[in-house]
Amino acid sequence: MRSLIIPIFIMTVSTVKAQHGKAVTEKKTFSRTTAITQVIHADPSIVWSLLTNANDFARWNSTVVSIVGEIKQGNKIELVSSLDSTRTFKLKILEFQPNEKLVWGDALGKRIYTLTNQGKNTLFTMSERIGGPMFPLFAGKIPSFDASFQQFTNDLKAEAETIAQTK
Amino acid sequence: MTIEEFTTEFESIRPQLKSFVLRMTASVQDTEDVIQDVWIKATNSLTTFRADSSLKTWVFSIAGNLVIDMLRKQKRWPEEVTDICKEAAMQNPAHFQEAMAIVQTSEYAKFEIKEHIAFCFLCIAKSLPIEQHLCLLLKEIHDFKIKEIAVILKTTAPLVKYHLHTGRQKMIELFHGRCALINKEGVCHQCTEINGIFNPGQSAEEAKQKLKMVKESEKGDKQHLFDLRMEVLQEIDPFSSSAHELQLHHLEHNRRVMNKYLENNSE
Repeated sequence: MRSLIIPIFIMTVSTVKAQHGKAVTEKKTFSRTTAITQVIHADPSIVWSLLTNANDFARWNSTVVSIVGEIKQGNKIELVSSLDSTRTFKLKILEFQPNEKLVWGDALGKRIYTLTNQGKNTLFTMSERIGGPMFPLFAGKIPSFDASFQQFTNDLKAEAETIAQTK
Repeated sequence: MTIEEFTTEFESIRPQLKSFVLRMTASVQDTEDVIQDVWIKATNSLTTFRADSSLKTWVFSIAGNLVIDMLRKQKRWPEEVTDICKEAAMQNPAHFQEAMAIVQTSEYAKFEIKEHIAFCFLCIAKSLPIEQHLCLLLKEIHDFKIKEIAVILKTTAPLVKYHLHTGRQKMIELFHGRCALINKEGVCHQCTEINGIFNPGQSAEEAKQKLKMVKESEKGDKQHLFDLRMEVLQEIDPFSSSAHELQLHHLEHNRRVMNKYLENNSE
C-alpha cells in the first residue's frame, strides 16, 4: 500500500511562486515547498560550474558544510547542511542538463535548480519540495528553509558575480 | 610565415614555454618531450596559423593541449606533497649528499628562500584540477589575458574566469593554512629549514625580511599576499634561476617520491 501512495505525492507539481531574492514557502497537509529566484549578473556557465563542483561548494556556500561525491547524472552524493550538521543526506542526481537544470533528491523530496540565460545575466531559481504520506507526522520537526534558501542564493550571487568581474 | 621566421619567434618564446610546461608536469624529461612535440606540431601546421591570435598564444595552445593529454592520464599530487617529500628526503641521505655536491660544483646552486617559494608553489599547484592549474599559470605567471587563455584552452572566457578564481582561492587558502612566511600559525617552515642547510652562516630571519611577501604579511590581506607570491614566481625561471640546478635535482626527487606515493595509494 505504501509503495502505491508515495509516488502520487511525489508527482504533485509545485505551484509556489518564487520571488526575487526572497524565499517563499507553501505548506500543504502532505508537503511543503520552498522556492526563491534571483537575477545573477554572470554567465550561466559560471553559475552552473559553482553548482556542480562538489569539492568547492563549502568554500563559497555558507549553508553547506560538505558535499562528497561527483555531481553528475545518476551519481549519488552525500550532503551535510549547516541547517543540521549532524545529518548526512544521501541524494541522487536525478537531472543534469548543463547550464540549464540540476535536480537532486531522495525519497522525501527534490531540490530543483534552473538557470535561464538572459544575455549576460542568469535567472536563477531554486525550489525544494518535501512530502509524502507520513509528512504530517514529522513536518513540525523540519526547520524552515527560508533563511537558508536566501543565504544560499546570496552566496551564489556574490560568488558568481565576483568571478564574472575577474579581469 | 616561413619556417625560418617561425623558428626565430619560437626560440624567443621557448624559455617561457619550457617554464610553463615544467610547472605543469614537474618533469624535465616530459618538458623536453612536450617542447619537441610542440615544435613538430607547429611546423607541420604552420599554414593553418591565421594570426587571429598571436603566435605566442598559438604555440601555448599547442603546448597546453599536449600537457592536458599527458596529465589526464596521471593522478594529481596531494596537497600535502611537500610534507610527504620532506619525510622521504629525511630518510634518504644520498639525496642530501647529491645536493651538497651540486652546491659545491655548480654555479647555479645559490639557494635563496625565494627559490623555494617558487619550488613549493610548483609542487603544491599540482594538486589543482588541470584547468585551474593551467589558467592560474597562464594568467598569473605568463600574463595572458582571459580571452587569450580561452583560445589556448579552447573554452569560453566565463569558464576561464571560473577556473582562475577557484584555483586562486584554493591556493590562497592552502598557503594561508600552511606557510609560516605569511602566517605565524603556519605549519610549514621548509624554506627556512633548507636555507639553514645551504646557507648556514645566514640569519633566516634577515633572509625572510628581504621578501616583500613576508614584510606585508602583518596586514593579513590574503589576495595581496598571493599576488606577491606570484611576483616571486615571475622572477624565478626554473631553468635559469641562480639555484636552478639544485632546484631541478630537488624536483626530480619529489617527482619520484610522488610517483611511488600515487602508485602505492591507487585504489
